[in-house]
Amino acid sequence: MGLIAREVEGHGIPTVALSVLGGATAKTPAPRNVVVRFRLGQVLGEPGAVVQQRRVLWDALGAFALIAQPGGVIELSYRWKRSTYVDPLEPGSGVS
Amino acid sequence: MSLRRAWHRLLSSWYTRAHWWATLYARWGLVPVGGAVVPWAAPRVPFHHGRIALVTAAGVHPRSAPPFDMENPRGDASFREIRGDVAASQLMITHDYYDHAAADLDVNTVFPLERLRELAPLGVRVAPRHFGFMGHVLGAERERLTRETAPEVARRLVADGVTHAVFTPG
Repeated sequence: MGLIAREVEGHGIPTVALSVLGGATAKTPAPRNVVVRFRLGQVLGEPGAVVQQRRVLWDALGAFALIAQPGGVIELSYRWKRSTYVDPLEPGSGVS
Repeated sequence: MSLRRAWHRLLSSWYTRAHWWATLYARWGLVPVGGAVVPWAAPRVPFHHGRIALVTAAGVHPRSAPPFDMENPRGDASFREIRGDVAASQLMITHDYYDHAAADLDVNTVFPLERLRELAPLGVRVAPRHFGFMGHVLGAERERLTRETAPEVARRLVADGVTHAVFTPG
């Protein structure tokens, strides 16, 4: 996935790549990388967990402003069901 | 289904659950690919004023499109276009190298197109086209990816006026 992201970035489009395996990200980093400690096949979260998925996506988009170096990595602090997910669409969430 | 495909599905089911094994494999078993120089394009607009595309390596494609080739041991470097207004029910996954049972229930777990559309009140615009790859590519297929299919997707994203692209794995 890092290879495709690099190609797209090389065409002038900023990219961010989500990952559940930080080790794989380190081997072939995309220009911007967001590691989530979730399960394989569920990088956005659980099936039907709309707020969780929306929050992770919003935070991944936030990496466009946070990562300033090629190959930079940020890790989201979420821990599956143990975390609280604030809906970016919720009034008062700080983004709407 | 061939014996080879059945074996890969069994294996992927195991290491999807045994996350520790996948973590160790990623750390010690994978080799770096691509050059040491990582390209960089500064965003021209904030993402919440941008036109955003999704690109996934999770094997997502429209039900109406041909499935990815699961018989080639080197994988399949081709891609499938996914319309920005497609219904999630019209998408499916062909990928034997991770257990996509959860994504079969809700494709947004790997390809959050519905979630992206929901961000419209915050200013986010959805690109007209998104792209699905099957993330297992080796040898000649990896060459085809870097020489042909990835550049072609990049050109289509440029043609669509995409300002930001989000990549998701399986």
